[in-house]
Amino acid sequence: MALIRLEGVGKSFASRHGSMSIMEGITFDVKDADFLAIVGPSGCGKSTLLRLIQGLDHPTSGQIYFRDQPVERVCHEMAMVFQNFALLPWLTVSQNVTFGLEALGWAPDRIRAQSERYISVTGLEGFEEAYPRELSGGMRQRVGLARALAVEPAVLLMDEPFSALDPLTAESLREEILQLWRDPALPPEAVVLVTHNIEEAIQLADRIVVMARRPSHVLELVEVDLPRPRDRKSTAFYDLTDRVYSLITESGVPHPHGGAPSSAAPSSSQPL
Amino acid sequence: MTLDTSVHSLEKGNRRTGERPPTGRTSLTTEVPSPASPWWQGHRRSALFYLLTPLVAGGVTAATLGISLGGVVGYLPTATVDLLYSFLRMCAAYVASLGFALAYGYYAATRRQGERVMIPVLDILQSVPILGFFPIAIVVLAGLTPNSWVGPNIASVFLIFTSMSWNMVFGVYESVKTLPVDLREATDSFGVRGIQRFRQVLFPAMVNRLVYNSVLSWTAGWFFLVEAEIFTTNGGSALPGIGSYLSFAAGAHHGTAFLTGLILLVILIALLDFGVWRPLGHFAERFRYDQSPSGVGEVVGMGGTTTRFRRAAAYITRGVRSGVTRVSTPLVQLAAIPFRSASGRRRTEQHHPVLYYGILGGILVSVWLLLIAITVAIFNVFSAPIVSSVRGQMLELPLAMGSSLVRVTVAFAFCLSIALPLAILMSRRPRAARVGLPIVEVVASFPATALFPVIIFELLPYISGEGAAILMLITGMLWYLFFNLLSGIRSLPPDLEEASRSFGVKGRDFFAKVLLPGIFPAMITGSITAFGGGWNTLIVAEYLNVGSSQKFQLLGIGSSIDVGYAEPNGLPLMVAALLTLVLSVVTINELIWKPLYRRAVEKYRYD
Repeated sequence: MALIRLEGVGKSFASRHGSMSIMEGITFDVKDADFLAIVGPSGCGKSTLLRLIQGLDHPTSGQIYFRDQPVERVCHEMAMVFQNFALLPWLTVSQNVTFGLEALGWAPDRIRAQSERYISVTGLEGFEEAYPRELSGGMRQRVGLARALAVEPAVLLMDEPFSALDPLTAESLREEILQLWRDPALPPEAVVLVTHNIEEAIQLADRIVVMARRPSHVLELVEVDLPRPRDRKSTAFYDLTDRVYSLITESGVPHPHGGAPSSAAPSSSQPL
Repeated sequence: MTLDTSVHSLEKGNRRTGERPPTGRTSLTTEVPSPASPWWQGHRRSALFYLLTPLVAGGVTAATLGISLGGVVGYLPTATVDLLYSFLRMCAAYVASLGFALAYGYYAATRRQGERVMIPVLDILQSVPILGFFPIAIVVLAGLTPNSWVGPNIASVFLIFTSMSWNMVFGVYESVKTLPVDLREATDSFGVRGIQRFRQVLFPAMVNRLVYNSVLSWTAGWFFLVEAEIFTTNGGSALPGIGSYLSFAAGAHHGTAFLTGLILLVILIALLDFGVWRPLGHFAERFRYDQSPSGVGEVVGMGGTTTRFRRAAAYITRGVRSGVTRVSTPLVQLAAIPFRSASGRRRTEQHHPVLYYGILGGILVSVWLLLIAITVAIFNVFSAPIVSSVRGQMLELPLAMGSSLVRVTVAFAFCLSIALPLAILMSRRPRAARVGLPIVEVVASFPATALFPVIIFELLPYISGEGAAILMLITGMLWYLFFNLLSGIRSLPPDLEEASRSFGVKGRDFFAKVLLPGIFPAMITGSITAFGGGWNTLIVAEYLNVGSSQKFQLLGIGSSIDVGYAEPNGLPLMVAALLTLVLSVVTINELIWKPLYRRAVEKYRYD
């Protein structure tokens, strides 16, 4: 059964030159126990798509379903991890983790137990009373992750969660997220990851939605059937990277729906 | 961390074309005129609005009061001449401010030894109620120049200059300071200097802040100009100008004369705005490079017409911040020493606020009394003995200062309860902002001091003296707070708002956890500047005397200064009152605002 279903989702906005479409006819599913990555060049509306899925923003055409119900308002069975963490600088680590829990109206005891659990799961013990600015980027993103996991969402949405981190920190956090993901005791039934890093998508995801821009549309849905743990140096990994990469660069030719073509291969999608 | 990061991938493609990113998530989208279109394209409606508002309002008021057009035309020549006097004073003061700002700001930003002294000096000067020095300036300059009207004129220009220049200095200083290092290095490496350096590097870097600060300077300038001219009517030898014109008109209950002057003033301000500041602002937009060196207070939105005040407020905010954070507060440390050693432990003032402020209050009052005693003694030695009535008023100064402080605080409470909901409404409801912000701007750019005579002479019977004074104080304080709060709310990272929505944090939770902490630094800066405006407004909000029959007087430090100026033997009282006011303001800034501010930026900044 599809957990989330996108049917012909489009988004346009009014500009002074008339209506301008930034996204057209996007259709795909997020299955149960799916780790889905959305990959595409900068400016192709990946992040917007993620916000449409949670209901933070609304499509101008098409429909998004969560458990067969149309998403009409912000869906609190999904939780988001933000690119630049979006932590409240004046709240401590544990207050940031309980940010979403208190909004659920839980009892204080339950909130405390829950936040302790996810602080320990994400390796933040000992930092409960620290403020975000006292932490490194990697630790801040752990707080963002703990905050999202603590509400025990059915779907974890991650908006370029590693792109504000240095490569080494990002790599180790990726490994940890994979481990958390494989732990059956931990909540999300599915993960939707937005990234412009092709290798990252192949390393983490089961399936990859490859997008092109102007207006953004789905180029192809790539299944990643490499065995885990995945070896970045293997030929199969390399071939798949190459395939997705050429999919995106070849989409640089003018799209029939109009809009300017990207003149060069997007540098952001080059492998690290 | 840039503020707009959540939409940053989308924006990259669009920024170059000058279009807003196509997201419905930005809380408020301003209409952005594309650089190619002429400057008036996006402003036609607001310009019309600007020019029609005073005419329609004036017409309606005239009709209801039964004033004929002929009457208005009769007063036109006098009012025009008086307005011209005022305008010339403004221009002189502005030219002086501009030159001063360029020289002082550039020197302070480029010479390290200069910076260490110049910025703290400026910080002290900006926090002192400059209007209080006006009577002294008049007295001194009138003494220097035998011709009686030259002195007051120079004094008024000087006063307007001081009200205009400090934010412009901070604008220049910050522009030069925040010039990207690589740009500076490139300039040096190519050996670009002299005129070329100014024209191609420094001027483009400065012009934006300079224009926005000029708008603010003119607004402040009008306020003080009118206030200064009203002030001189107290002494009898009034300066010719629109302020004294309005003051006399209201004092004599000449509704037609008053309205004529008011409409002329509004038209002049509207013309300046439409004919000078908007084109200049449009011109300056081209030199804007998107770089916010420090997050708090910087307005993110692109430049439409309605961003002028917010941008200016943001620059002011950062000026205040750069000043406040640089100056150490010896008084705080001094006051904390006996307290700390007595308890023997490291304790902060939070634990014993009553005792702490009690001690500080005690120190303050004793310093007052000492100061008054010294002043009295000096005048006893060096001049004729002090008249007993004046001496009595001098001994009342602490009480006067206290009641003024209460008045300003009450006015501040009103301001906060108006400005906070209004700012939240304006930044969270795009539709309200589209209608409301232009109105707010028109109202805010109008010098409220012009209405003071009418508040005093017409509204007094209905709202009592205290009510009139507080109403005047509110008009002098409200906009500082409002624009700071607005820019604070708008510079709240969109990330945080989105995270709140994503996790379902709303209502009271959202206010307590996200919005209020997020705008706390802006609120403190707004409060500092609002109190600064309040102290300045006090000078004319407590006393007005036009002729013998019309007199308005409350017990307060402002009225003490006025009385000291107006009465023949009042010089000692004026000096003592001024010293009391300055000392109190500096003390309050050092003991309350600066510690609060430091706490605000330590805990409530985003990075």
